[in-house]
Amino acid sequence: MVSAAPVAASAASPPPILATKGLGKRFGHFRALSGVSVGFPEGGITAIIGPNGAGKSTFFNLISGAFPPSEGRVLFRGRDITGAPPHHFARMGIAKSFQITNVFPHLTVRENVRVAAQARRVRFAFFRDRSAYPELAEQAEALLGEVGLGARMDRLARELAHGEQRALEIAVALAAEPTLLLLDEPTAGMSPEETREMMDLVQRLAETRTLILVEHKMRLVMGLCRRLVVLHQGQLLAEGSPNDIRAHPEVRRVYLGKTA
Amino acid sequence: MSAPAPGHALARGTPLAAPRPGSGRTGRWLALAGRHRVALTLAFLVVFPWIAPYQALAVNILVLGLYALGFNLLFGYTGLLSFGHAAFLGGGAYGSGIAIAHYGLHPALALVAGTLLATLIAAAMGVLAIRTRGIYFAMTTLALSMCVYYAFYRAESFTGGENGLRGINVPVLALPGLRLDLLDPMVKYYAVLAVVGGAVWLFSRLLSSPFGAALEAIRENEGRAQACGYDVRRMKLVAFVISGALCGLAGALQAIHLSIVPIETMHYSTSGQAVMMALLGGMGTFFGPFVGAATFSLLQDGLATLTSHWQLFVGAIFIAFVLFLPLGIWGEVLARLRRAGW
Amino acid sequence: MTDLTIGGFPLDLLALQLVTGVALGAIYVLVGIGLSLIFGLMNVVNFAHGAFFMVGAYVGVFLYGYTGSFWLSLVAAPLAMGLLGLAVERVLVRPLYGRGIDDPLLLTFGLSYVMVESVRIAFGLTGLPFGAPPELRGAVDLGIGYFPLYRLFLIAFSLTVVGALWLFIERTSFGLVIRAGARDPQIVQVLGIEISKVWLAVFGLGCALAGLAGILAAPLQGVTPEMGIPVLAEAFVVTVVGGMGSLAGAVLAGLLVGIVVAMTSLVAPDMTKMAIFALMALVLLVRPRGLLGRAGALG
Repeated sequence: MVSAAPVAASAASPPPILATKGLGKRFGHFRALSGVSVGFPEGGITAIIGPNGAGKSTFFNLISGAFPPSEGRVLFRGRDITGAPPHHFARMGIAKSFQITNVFPHLTVRENVRVAAQARRVRFAFFRDRSAYPELAEQAEALLGEVGLGARMDRLARELAHGEQRALEIAVALAAEPTLLLLDEPTAGMSPEETREMMDLVQRLAETRTLILVEHKMRLVMGLCRRLVVLHQGQLLAEGSPNDIRAHPEVRRVYLGKTA
Repeated sequence: MSAPAPGHALARGTPLAAPRPGSGRTGRWLALAGRHRVALTLAFLVVFPWIAPYQALAVNILVLGLYALGFNLLFGYTGLLSFGHAAFLGGGAYGSGIAIAHYGLHPALALVAGTLLATLIAAAMGVLAIRTRGIYFAMTTLALSMCVYYAFYRAESFTGGENGLRGINVPVLALPGLRLDLLDPMVKYYAVLAVVGGAVWLFSRLLSSPFGAALEAIRENEGRAQACGYDVRRMKLVAFVISGALCGLAGALQAIHLSIVPIETMHYSTSGQAVMMALLGGMGTFFGPFVGAATFSLLQDGLATLTSHWQLFVGAIFIAFVLFLPLGIWGEVLARLRRAGW
Repeated sequence: MTDLTIGGFPLDLLALQLVTGVALGAIYVLVGIGLSLIFGLMNVVNFAHGAFFMVGAYVGVFLYGYTGSFWLSLVAAPLAMGLLGLAVERVLVRPLYGRGIDDPLLLTFGLSYVMVESVRIAFGLTGLPFGAPPELRGAVDLGIGYFPLYRLFLIAFSLTVVGALWLFIERTSFGLVIRAGARDPQIVQVLGIEISKVWLAVFGLGCALAGLAGILAAPLQGVTPEMGIPVLAEAFVVTVVGGMGSLAGAVLAGLLVGIVVAMTSLVAPDMTKMAIFALMALVLLVRPRGLLGRAGALG
């Protein structure tokens, strides 16, 4: 990838795990996002923030491959992955959790994670029994323990409380053994207590992986993340450490001035 | 009331009799029955001709049960509603019928030929139909199966066209060390059951396999399955082809059973019959297709002796099921047992 | 008058076939638009659409036998099917909202059985012959040859209906609601309009269009209880070819399908029925979202 070089060079630090170049999306005549070039460092948490309608979700959907961009490119470890089919993302090591709870409702909690783990190893095995892969069930149970659902494994997913379903979704995403985990508003619709638990979980997860998360509530992520990307009206407004962002005059004007 | 539009966003929650481990006594019994579903199904089918009103009907129900079973792989377990499965039943029937009537092949080879033809038709239709999603899938499969129907209708020298394919006479099945008199309805029933039983066993293995698990995941949430790394399109295509092959085998058996392949075998109404049987019996349940096939056949048979307009009642009963009993007979039985067990 | 030929066929024959194709296409357009309207707004595939087409034809033919007025039939058939559609939506389809997307489809499929069989009970199994009314029989000279008057009338009449429908959807406030509802039902709720009333009206409108198409098609082929089945399949082709939920697409695809059928019947009569589906297969391969379809409806 010839074009990967400038991105890496401009960062002047270890090459980013994920980078965008001039990323943009139009829906009909509406420009939801335009010209966003940004690099995400490996390790820790990077949060994408911005007021409502800033283009956060569009940006998230573009970097997670939910739909292709109208212009620009997405690079994963320097490799151009623009327009790759959604199932390739998981196989490359990129997993995501959706903004709307997105699990397999009529399967048990355990099977939700087991079938996700299975996607990595066995997809077209027609005549062996599922139980012939005990390592998948073990992995599922371990992951469910990690997200705090160890006691709920035999329930149907749809019977879980909202917060539990979000935790399950993260376990499902983790089953792909991602090096990069993308989370879209992981605390949306949660009670304060559920929110606290979720942020604890997010912090734990970031110890061994790179996390990129979209968050509406800036206050939640300020203390956790290494780096922030601020979007405003479909464009990149600022990026930097939490301190940089707090001091950034433009950010203060459009974001902090109103909501904080 | 802000009821979501029927097909929008998260509304795809067709109630399914999802397998669920039970903690109560009923739950344990159900789990045990689930593990032995093949043996239980076969045990029922072995005694079935003795409780069926007459034995020719029993063979019909067996064959239609396999047809509904194949259809259910797609509808009940993968969540794809096809209205084109007559092309596979018909493809299997014509394949085996032509092999016997035109080429004098051994019935066993004719079954292979029929299944193969249906598989090819399914692959061709699947490649096209899989490109559409959701509700368009039903429309596309219907239209494509009509195309197959007209093709077979036109290929008169092979298929007999409007008059149907005749001359499929298999009075005796000669196997190494065994001669079976197929004119005896009981012998015929158990010969057909041997084939259907094998298919039921394969089907059960398939459902228990990792592939079966992936299909359920696709049914439950296609987008999530894709994000997990499943190539959803390819898996749907494979499911479509396997479903077509099973229905093709049913068609191949039907041709031998009836000694004729009427052109109606490929008609839209035959596709609709699969839908009806699956829903009456209980989609997404293992035994449901056979319950559905029996219900449909007995209903049709019973009503036909009373009125030539039996389709009016079949249609009305089907409407009532959609409205009031969407789990189907077997699905409802399972659901009630489960509820009683908690 | 002419000895010009294209591909071995005289020009006036080709022109005649073209008119035949466009007339057939006009029927497809009416059926396809009704289907697309219901589908685009409610995400419901009306599997009884062919049955509404058929019953509409029977109602028209039956009334014509009594009154001798084709014009009356032309009004009564869509009216009757519109009313029947309203009743069906209200009583049968509405309880299914909020359930799986396949449920209304399954229900209307069962309904089509009931409708077909009811017609068999009322009018017999064999169907009724029906020709163009006397005032629309014969042929007219358009300068390049003679054309059957009824087909020309059918084309003109259908185009007028489609034009009126277009004005209705583009220019009236109710049309605005339909367009908004097709994009996002919640927008309509926010506007303070009960979406269920819009669904009711659109279901009735779609069924009325099917009934109109039925009586318009009756003079071409007579009426039989089974006449709706191929029409249903062909309407699906029109919807898939035209594009998901696009009305302009339905018009374009309807005419295209009609012309393809007419031309195939000239070149390879055996292939006529299959040509329709070959066209659909081609569109699915090359442009799976349909000619004028929005992206996103497809994976």
